[in-house]
Amino acid sequence: MFTDEALESISIQSLWRKSQRLEQESRGCQTTEVHSAETDTQAVSTTISSTQTEPQDQATELLWKNHESEPPGLKDFLQRVEDVVIRELVRNSRSHAFDGFQVNWDYSQLVSCLHCLQHPTAQERGLHATSVSWNCTGSVIACAYGRVDDGHWSTERSYVCTWNLSRRGFSPKQADLIIDVHTAVTALCCHPNQPTLIAGGLYSGEVVVWDTSRTQDPVLALSGMSADSHREPVYQVAWVPLEKKGEFRVLSASSEGRVLLWMVDLDQGRLVLNAAYVLVQQQVPHSSVSFKAQGSGTVGVTSLALSPWDSDTFLVGSEAGLLLRCSFSSKTPAAAPFEGQSVPPRAPAVFSFRPCSGPVHSIHCSPFHRNLFLSAGTDGLVHLHSLLQASPLLSLKVSDSYTFQVQWSPTRPLVFAAATGQGATSQL
Amino acid sequence: MFLCCSLRSFGCSAEVEETLKRIQGQKGVQGIIIVNSEGIPIKTTLDNSSTVQYAGLIHQLVMKARSTIRDMDPQNDLTFLRVRSKKNEIMIAPDKDYFLIVIQNPSD
Repeated sequence: MFTDEALESISIQSLWRKSQRLEQESRGCQTTEVHSAETDTQAVSTTISSTQTEPQDQATELLWKNHESEPPGLKDFLQRVEDVVIRELVRNSRSHAFDGFQVNWDYSQLVSCLHCLQHPTAQERGLHATSVSWNCTGSVIACAYGRVDDGHWSTERSYVCTWNLSRRGFSPKQADLIIDVHTAVTALCCHPNQPTLIAGGLYSGEVVVWDTSRTQDPVLALSGMSADSHREPVYQVAWVPLEKKGEFRVLSASSEGRVLLWMVDLDQGRLVLNAAYVLVQQQVPHSSVSFKAQGSGTVGVTSLALSPWDSDTFLVGSEAGLLLRCSFSSKTPAAAPFEGQSVPPRAPAVFSFRPCSGPVHSIHCSPFHRNLFLSAGTDGLVHLHSLLQASPLLSLKVSDSYTFQVQWSPTRPLVFAAATGQGATSQL
Repeated sequence: MFLCCSLRSFGCSAEVEETLKRIQGQKGVQGIIIVNSEGIPIKTTLDNSSTVQYAGLIHQLVMKARSTIRDMDPQNDLTFLRVRSKKNEIMIAPDKDYFLIVIQNPSD
């Protein structure tokens, strides 16, 4: 009935203890890895520079310093030379060896007047020489007579005379060839290749080409008085080379503002108008220098120059002092009234340089430098301009009176000559 | 050009001074310069800048003249050099140690 049994022990877990037990968790954190790197730099190239002044010119800086005693041998030296020197000094002071001896190092004194060419008939009538031109061979000089002081229309006859300087019977008072012209001649230009052709501009506005080899009638071609030709005196004529070698045309400029290009028509003995350019005040390009356009008048041309480098460019100087660069190939029609001319006039002005006061009497392009030209006006100044800028590069006062002509030397690039109201001067 | 020291006359004997005075007293003499063999002026009666200019230029001229004479004939030597200009005449007496330069205006 009753037995002993051993039972296993029973445990009951404590509940309250368990809830009070602290919970523990362990966590760890760590920053991200820090990247470090090591680099070295070192300059590989080195430079060394040093300056040093140049040693002084020895001869100039040393003067004898203070010496207690005189330099050795000075006394003996002076004793040796004293007599010789004194003898020479005395002899020199009495000598007449160099009396009147003039040495001439100066180049400018080599200019001398060789001949004074005169035409007695013209002198008697009091005509002025208006234009002079050498022909291409360099032995004949042609001179045009006319009047420069007459304001009104004159029908006085005048002459063109040529002198041949290399002829044996040359006499300065006797011209070799005298061409009678019915009015005063105001401009003259000899042909650059053919020694017998001379182009001239007349007071009446006509342009004539003479052939001096023709004995009967030297007039080769005449422009005639038509709607095509000038109405005012022609102040400049020039021979313009064409693209075809050997052919030339005549360019004439007058004070009414027209510049005309003529072609010589040998069959008819006429000059045929090839191109006409009219310079009108409004169409003159204004440079940055202020210049007020006065009305719509024409620009009277007093001087003309062709550029030997650029066959399209020619320079024009006006009565009012304007200097313009013009182009033969300009296509802009002129703003002047069309008066029934055979060729429509064009406006050639492309660029205007700084104007001077007073008429521009002469312009000449440098035969050596592409962009240089000289201009001379009545203010006595000669301006050296560059074709590329409006203001002159250099202005030289040549004289107090008017300058009438300026020309570059054909052989020396830096020399030009200017003729003034007082006499010719030559400058660098 | 920079002159680092001014020209001073040094203590020299009376004979030298007298000789120079005698030369200076000749008719038309404008100035005397004594230059040593290196071209440095030792004694002068002109102002500093002219002295230095004369000394330098004339030294070169004398050397050239001397070498010209000796080249033409090695047994010959330069004894006296006169340079005449429009305004005056420069006389140079050369020697182995010194040159004496006298500037004279003969028409004075």
